[in-house]
Amino acid sequence: MTAIQVNGLRKSYGDFLAVKDVSFDVSPGEIFALLGRNGAGKTTTMEVLAGFQAPDEGTVRVLGLDPARDRAKVRARIGIMLQEAGFFPDLTVAQTVDAWRDFVAAARPRAEALELAGLVAKAATKVRQLSGGEKRRLDLALAVLSRPDVLFLDEPTTGMDVEGRKNTWEVIRGLARQGTTILLTTHYLEEAQRLASSMAIMDRGVIVASGGMAETLAAQTGRVAFELPSVVTPEELPVPVATLEGRTAICRVADPDLAAQTLLSWAGERGLRLRGLEVRTATLEDLFLDLAASSATGQEEFGHV
Amino acid sequence: MYELAVVSRFGGRLFWRDRMVLASSVAVTLGVGTGLPLLIDKVGAPPADVLAQHIGMVPILLGIASMGHIATVLTARRDQLILKRMRATGLSDRAILGGEIVNTSVQAVLLLAASSLVLYALTGLSFPRNPLMYLLALAGGASVLAVLGTAFTAFVRRAELAGPMTMPFYFLAGMGAGGFGPLDKVLPEWLLTALDLLPTGAVVDLVRTAYAADGTLTGDLRAAAVPALTLAVWAAVGLFAIMKWFRWEARRS
Repeated sequence: MTAIQVNGLRKSYGDFLAVKDVSFDVSPGEIFALLGRNGAGKTTTMEVLAGFQAPDEGTVRVLGLDPARDRAKVRARIGIMLQEAGFFPDLTVAQTVDAWRDFVAAARPRAEALELAGLVAKAATKVRQLSGGEKRRLDLALAVLSRPDVLFLDEPTTGMDVEGRKNTWEVIRGLARQGTTILLTTHYLEEAQRLASSMAIMDRGVIVASGGMAETLAAQTGRVAFELPSVVTPEELPVPVATLEGRTAICRVADPDLAAQTLLSWAGERGLRLRGLEVRTATLEDLFLDLAASSATGQEEFGHV
Repeated sequence: MYELAVVSRFGGRLFWRDRMVLASSVAVTLGVGTGLPLLIDKVGAPPADVLAQHIGMVPILLGIASMGHIATVLTARRDQLILKRMRATGLSDRAILGGEIVNTSVQAVLLLAASSLVLYALTGLSFPRNPLMYLLALAGGASVLAVLGTAFTAFVRRAELAGPMTMPFYFLAGMGAGGFGPLDKVLPEWLLTALDLLPTGAVVDLVRTAYAADGTLTGDLRAAAVPALTLAVWAAVGLFAIMKWFRWEARRS
């Protein structure tokens, strides 16, 4: 059984079409990244999955249940880290966790939740005195209190420092290892690439790319960049240059290792040095930017019914 | 039921630790509820006038402690996305709102009972002949006004507007009950009839019956029938409005 199933989801606000014919599946224990620019429809999709809104069209199932119709049953088995949601500012971190423990069934002990979120030292601090990153950690502690089967994480590391982000990644990986299905949205593409095994990229309410993370990236072109020697023009190079940023030539190729070897041999034969040579396979950021560039050329009909 | 009790207990803890609430709801209710009746007693007015003023204050106090309070609290929690966060737990919508309605009603009854006790101790005002009916009237009125206050949040754009926007309601309710003096002598009959149809009009009828010098249990029950029906109708209207129009999140801009 798939943990999350979305089929032909469509959702509008007035005459604004936020999500159009979105379909994807997430397997149990999988980390799935839902990516896209602001306003792409990620949060709307997640809110429909969490039962906050009903779909206009299409079917949505979480653990085989309809989140809008079977909201109580679904909520008992999911955890949600919302992109925006408030706290009671005058409660301490410990008091907040204690209150939320009363709201969920079979809750983790307070100490375990605080330990998991890295907030033990802040237990006696009032929520209003927490930093943005610490509030996100508290958000995470509340989301995992019920030991959910499915966890929705909407921008989980926004506002966190580097250490906090890495700790959160470890928590997310640990939960997935224990069998928790995780649907993640994030603006940090490196985060998605490190954590998720599958992904979908949304743009203007539709999915423009999806699949397994490794397979999708393997199908993309790699990148070779170097400082173009002053005596050479881009046309003379044995590998076509995709873009020239100042004096830095960037080649987009299927096999970046082979392209780098070709370029180095060519330069060696001419007694030239390729300074700042950088060779890497495709990243999610490359894919994302490519899709953004291609979508900017048209598709003006999206966004309105 | 368990969920409702959990939310209600949590709401009670927040109520008594919130300085703003202590100032706006607790202090105002106790101050207004005891101030005028005490003053009337001090100037040597007969006990009947003190009782009339006390009864006239009941709708105003219920309006402040129940309707105004819950409208402010729920609008603030909606604007701060706290209601949304509570919905993200396993709590049902009914438990989230019902728990706060129960909590607000309990606090309102406690505040009105406390102000009544102060008057019994410091003035010539006597205990109600039927104290159970008095408490039930307060509980019924507080609950119905809390339901109406919850429904009213649909029309309130920001938390700071909730208090001023509910004020006309308890001003009218107090006017009809004599909380601002014997206005029933000067107000037109049709207006008094309309004010009597408010839920607070029913509460005042019940409170008057509870304080009446003479009466029997059967007579009290007969007198309570129409006010109880009025409260039930207002409760139904409020619940319908909540189901139809209650907003869990601030309007999207």
